[in-house]
Amino acid sequence: MNLTEGAIAKITSGGATAAELKPTLQVTELKQVHTKQPQQSDRFRLVLSDGSHLQQAMLGTQINHLVKDGNLRPCSVVQLIQYTCTTVQGRINFTGSWHFYASWSAYQQPSPMYSNTGQVAKNDAPPRLMPISALNPYQGRWTIKARVTAKGELRHYNNPRGNGKVFSFDLLDSDGGEIKVTCFNAVADQFYHQIEAGKVYLISRGNLKPAQKNFNHLRNDLEVFLESTSIVQPCFEDDSVIPRQQFNFRSISEVEGMDNNNVVDIIGMVSSITPAASIMRKNGTETQKRTLQLKDMSGRSVEFTLWGSFCNAEGQRLQNMCDSGGFPVLAVKSGRVSDFNGKAVGTISTSQLFIDTDFPEARRLKEWFEKEGRNVPSLSISREMSSVGRADVPKTISQLKDERLGTSETPDWVTVNATVIFIKADNFCYTACPLMSGDRPCNKKVKNNGDGKWRCEKCDQSMDECDYRYILQFQIQDHTSITWVTAFQESGEDLNFSKYEKQDDESFSKIVRQVLFSKSVFKLKVKEETFSDEQRVKSTVVRAEKANYSSQSKFLLDMMEKFKSGNSAPVASNTESTYPNSGANSIGIESSGRPCGPLGSNQGGNKGYIARKFGSLPCEVGQHGNQYSTETNIALGFLHLLFLVTAVVLLAIPQQIALVS
Amino acid sequence: MDTSKPAIFVNGGLLPMHVQKRVRIVIQVLGSDRGAVIGKSTDDHQLTVKGTPPSVPLTNFVEVIGIADSEKSIQAEIWTNFGDTFDTYSYNQLCQLANGEYQLLFL
Repeated sequence: MNLTEGAIAKITSGGATAAELKPTLQVTELKQVHTKQPQQSDRFRLVLSDGSHLQQAMLGTQINHLVKDGNLRPCSVVQLIQYTCTTVQGRINFTGSWHFYASWSAYQQPSPMYSNTGQVAKNDAPPRLMPISALNPYQGRWTIKARVTAKGELRHYNNPRGNGKVFSFDLLDSDGGEIKVTCFNAVADQFYHQIEAGKVYLISRGNLKPAQKNFNHLRNDLEVFLESTSIVQPCFEDDSVIPRQQFNFRSISEVEGMDNNNVVDIIGMVSSITPAASIMRKNGTETQKRTLQLKDMSGRSVEFTLWGSFCNAEGQRLQNMCDSGGFPVLAVKSGRVSDFNGKAVGTISTSQLFIDTDFPEARRLKEWFEKEGRNVPSLSISREMSSVGRADVPKTISQLKDERLGTSETPDWVTVNATVIFIKADNFCYTACPLMSGDRPCNKKVKNNGDGKWRCEKCDQSMDECDYRYILQFQIQDHTSITWVTAFQESGEDLNFSKYEKQDDESFSKIVRQVLFSKSVFKLKVKEETFSDEQRVKSTVVRAEKANYSSQSKFLLDMMEKFKSGNSAPVASNTESTYPNSGANSIGIESSGRPCGPLGSNQGGNKGYIARKFGSLPCEVGQHGNQYSTETNIALGFLHLLFLVTAVVLLAIPQQIALVS
Repeated sequence: MDTSKPAIFVNGGLLPMHVQKRVRIVIQVLGSDRGAVIGKSTDDHQLTVKGTPPSVPLTNFVEVIGIADSEKSIQAEIWTNFGDTFDTYSYNQLCQLANGEYQLLFL
């Protein structure tokens, strides 16, 4: 569709009339003219362009409604059906009907043709409405008409430059443009009570500045800063044209590819939700959090965390809905992507949650869920938050040292299959603070005050009685290497250390003997710590489980398969480190019968032998630096397998029946 | 530890390869029949174990070490109770490996 070029010249020169020429023109300006007599209806003055000339015009009052409805606006392309041209100052009067071709396309900057006419007067009062997306810092006067989608709190802040208050809110206009508006100090006070979320306002005379991306997650490079001279007018009409909220939903599979700290809108079905839990933040304050799983049509699910107030308000509501068997649809505006445990999304202060609202996407999601989603398992892009999942990387002890685990910023969580070979008998417990801090006991070491009381530094209290908690230090060893670990009360109990009740040396040694040489799967938290100028990697036992020979055998069989088929590098290196050349220690312990073949005949005696050899020696088993060939490496692993299988025998109390035939 | 009489890990399918040799096998006890114990190997072959079972009652899985006197029977010398559960899959794999590539490791 093209503008009828030259039409204006024709009309103004008297060369054409309304009957002959019905030109297509574009409205470049539209202003309301204030009439002196209040009874008279509003008059609108416009400027029309035909692509080469501009012409002033007055709108016939019969079609004033077009402006009032918002249909006729700057940039509208119109076809004149009925018009008259009077040469009073060369204006054209339009009456009659209009056709519209388009009410908006992207707003064009006033064309350089403006200088041709010079008739356009600068106008103070009438608003020059523009879409938010057209705002630019060089725009003289601008007015936007938009709805408040989010209203922030009146925040007080304190920074080196002083203290003050700030208040901001987000606007959305009918074209989907969004922008954030901020006010400081007195201006904040001025507007805070005027602005209501969900209402439409006309805003003008604000300052446009580049947006601060770390506070502003809207898709606009600019932000508006209001001054005391800014105008904020509530708008009572046109309510339906401007949407209430605008989302840019991404599917969960897209979230998987996003960077950390990206802000995103997502929508999904809540498939599960956990109760609220207290979490200690890095700065020491406590906050509440809840996690839930969101599923969507991409077949993926993601873990979504509700922090702080979201946890309580929306979180509780969601929990109730889920508990009663429902699957609510949750839409999130401005959630932050984090790469904790795979990819997860969490709320931030500017997030907004919408539960079971009637968006088209929500409806689609509900339909998909009813039809298929309910039964289709989705792939989670977040790793499970249980401690099992977190430490499911099986490692050998030598890998702990080789790969320098624990030396990075965060502690590493690993799993090792190893045997307890030595338990340190002194300092196996400490006096602990029994007071509750949140929902967990403090457990910090308490000091004897000297007057029979125990003092806890953290809780800042004294008490008569304190808890005794295990702090066990022992060595664990697998076929590769040996290391010291520490276990506290809970993990100690995992290992069959019963609750410490009274001092009883005999039963203590009995327990120790029982635990010694038991094989377990240890989940360790490995972290490097500094002890008086010395960097040391400390491993703490988070959980200990009895070794499951069956699954371990399968694991090893798998590894052997992969090793045999000369599989890809990662596996090879895994096997490499699992069967290192120099780790020969464990062989001595595991199969004391080596290298003499199968552990056949003397099973009953085996265990006793080991115990006798290592039982009471508080020594660290040294490394034998032998060189072994690859074949023997396989042998090592193989014997490990063999050991596992025959260890079943050791577990089941063997009835040694030797028949002399 | 007495290693003068090594026994080869076998299952039902591998037993025929080692007739007249000393073998060891884990079987699931199905029943006893005229002084012999009928058992099922980890790869579902039915086998007979001759010899005197121990006075202690046998559990579900038993390991038997002895001379294989035919493709389907063993003259047992040593009986060991392995309990009521046993990972037959892993044991089978072990037998395969012990008789295959890694034979040398075991004898």
